[in-house]
Amino acid sequence: MIRVLVVIAAILCFGAVRLPLEQKIPAQDRQLTLGLREQIGQLGFAAALSGFRSIVADIVFIQAHVAWERTEWARVLLLLREATTLQPQSIMFWDMAAWHMAWNASAAVMNDESQSLTVRVRKQHQYFDLGKDFLERGIQYNPDNPRLYEAMARLYQQKYEDHLHASEYFAKAAALPGAMSYDRRFSAYELSYCDGREREAYEKLRALYDEGEKERLPTLIKRLKFLEQKIDIPQDRRIPDSA
Amino acid sequence: MTAEPAVAVRGLTKRFPVPFTRRLISAVEDVDLTVNRGEVYGLLGPNGSGKSTTLKIILGLVWPTSGSAKIFGRDSGEVHSRDSVGFLPENPYFYKFLTGTETLRFFGKLCGLHGEQLHQRIIDLLDLVGLTNAREQRLATYSKGMLQRIGLAQALINDPQLVVLDEPTAGVDPAGSRDIRDLIVDLRKRGVTVLLSSHLLGQVQEVCDRVGILANGKLVREGKLEELLAIENQTELVLENASEDLVKRVQELARDANARLVAQRRSTTTLERFFLDATDE
Amino acid sequence: MRRTLAIASNTLTDLTRQRVFYFILIFALILIGSSVFMSRFSFQQELQILKDISLGTMSILTSLLAILATARLIPQDIEDRTAYTILAKPVPRYQYVLGKLLGVLGLLVISLFIMSALFFAMLYTREQTLLSEAMRQYATAPREQLEDALRTVRAAGLKIDIAQAIGLLFMKASVLAATTLLVTTFATTNIFTVITMVFVYFIGHLQEIAREYWLQQTGNGWFTHLFLALVALIFPDLQAFNRVDQVVAGHALSLGIFTQTTLLGCFYIAVYTTLAVVMFYGKEL
Repeated sequence: MIRVLVVIAAILCFGAVRLPLEQKIPAQDRQLTLGLREQIGQLGFAAALSGFRSIVADIVFIQAHVAWERTEWARVLLLLREATTLQPQSIMFWDMAAWHMAWNASAAVMNDESQSLTVRVRKQHQYFDLGKDFLERGIQYNPDNPRLYEAMARLYQQKYEDHLHASEYFAKAAALPGAMSYDRRFSAYELSYCDGREREAYEKLRALYDEGEKERLPTLIKRLKFLEQKIDIPQDRRIPDSA
Repeated sequence: MTAEPAVAVRGLTKRFPVPFTRRLISAVEDVDLTVNRGEVYGLLGPNGSGKSTTLKIILGLVWPTSGSAKIFGRDSGEVHSRDSVGFLPENPYFYKFLTGTETLRFFGKLCGLHGEQLHQRIIDLLDLVGLTNAREQRLATYSKGMLQRIGLAQALINDPQLVVLDEPTAGVDPAGSRDIRDLIVDLRKRGVTVLLSSHLLGQVQEVCDRVGILANGKLVREGKLEELLAIENQTELVLENASEDLVKRVQELARDANARLVAQRRSTTTLERFFLDATDE
Repeated sequence: MRRTLAIASNTLTDLTRQRVFYFILIFALILIGSSVFMSRFSFQQELQILKDISLGTMSILTSLLAILATARLIPQDIEDRTAYTILAKPVPRYQYVLGKLLGVLGLLVISLFIMSALFFAMLYTREQTLLSEAMRQYATAPREQLEDALRTVRAAGLKIDIAQAIGLLFMKASVLAATTLLVTTFATTNIFTVITMVFVYFIGHLQEIAREYWLQQTGNGWFTHLFLALVALIFPDLQAFNRVDQVVAGHALSLGIFTQTTLLGCFYIAVYTTLAVVMFYGKEL
């Protein structure tokens, strides 16, 4: 009996000793654990925190995929929210969630002839915003990964047609390790469409051009020539006409 | 060192708590017991009399409530008190997925044996207990008697000076029982001390030098077998080919010397011997 | 030491011959079964789901194995009286307990090794297929684009971090084995041990949250406070060893965190094993 008490005391003491050690190891998902319970049911929560999390997240994601194939957009949104909450470190989940909303769902509502055009356009924009929302939260969780910045840049570029923001996000992506080689170039292209930023865009494009043959792609030369014209660069400092 | 008895138990008492109550039940009560070197000692008693508990305390598996148990002068609480002890529990059961050879190798290693020495010892012991042919079989396929024999072999693996056997013939057929008896006799010849417990009196009588009788946790009798069983004023004669006439003359002689003939009967064999003779043919 | 190893290898042999490795078949089936889904997805999704499912299954199976294999070791020995025979030899009790634990750890190493080999083989094969597909697809595109594509596939494929994460899975299972061993030294039945360990498993994964709430000292009642403190102090933090999710999601596992977590695991194992030994020394057979 005394032995049992000694062992219990020892377990408690050990608990106290190891506490600072456990605190020292950075937790991977504190926000996750705190915000999770409101999002998913108790069972999901228990499962999620018992080593089943990634599997649960995958199952939810696969369900979302099936819902997409059936074009049940509300369900797709709900499931993707769950999957990203369960596994906020998965870049792919955020990327796919944003893509489903901003590209697929938004296109689907535009094809819905039963609604008036005004309603359709408003709904379409709501879906763009949902996509943007996913990407913003994804970036909050994963600030060091260039993929989500690239996705955000494409969203601004192709859906909002907001070249300034697109340029900014391409630039943010380009500054991170693991960025795609085109990020810097795209940032400059997008800037070249922005009124009042021509000088800046020109300098960026020119710097890329001066890096050598690798960067001298047809679009780059086209945009550079356009800007040279627009901001009136002296003839002798312009790039030569390509052969 | 030589002065120390093989086993010395002094004032041994063991009480177990009864679960969910504050009562204690006494399994062994103030037992004194000595097993001298080289003798075969039988611990007798009905089931539940405290035999197994006493043996477990001697082997350091259970702690005494009070009193002490020593093996060759070392307290049973010490690991090294068991350096030269072999033990065969009642109805032994081993890892059934191991073969006979593997079982012996395992127990040999536990005794600190290894290499060629262990290998040779295993071969010898398997031969001794007659399991050479079954050595590569898994223990799951062994009969009860075979398990008892592999159990004996593991008890002898470290060539012990003291062998403790708990009900060694329980559940074993008469032939197996005789083998075990022969083995005990053989151990005594080699100077090994044997401490065995049994509730089968006939067996104990055949092999033991001294016995102790436990009842309700107390040692009620202890001593040399012939002394305990001898009836002081009686002598037994067993005659072969005696004629009627001879028997009559013996009776007359006895009467003349003021002695009384208590019993006269035809000798019978024991059922055990009869069974063994019959099955040997 | 030699005795401890003899007991360990004996325990391992015994467990192996009870065909516990059959559970690896379950793993293989799940691995193959998961590839059925794969055709629906893009390559990044495919590799991630393959990794999630494989590592998640590995985590659960090794935890289960650790608990179930350990739960019956000592009770079974006592029930069969094999423990009498072993401890009647000159074997100190700590060597016996340690040997049993090492046997289970050996079993865990072997099963994780086999599962990892299957998983790596599968992942490597898929990765190679995807790489060659990318090569074909971008054959006419500029070199730069091809390189980008190949880099993306490689980033989603086999990386050294995965081996580290598997190492932490082993630590988690070992902690569970040591805890189970401690529980068996006072448990009276196998069912009790297993149920207790299921609780330890789930609460252990939530210990981090209890600890956080407790240390943040928010205005809870004293009872809640005491409860949280007990959970934090008694249960091991199993979530600390779940770095698998993070690695699969493509986040690097720093050597610092890996080392710290491993040390924490060793610390847990050492303490729980010591306590198991202390309990076992008081046990009457």
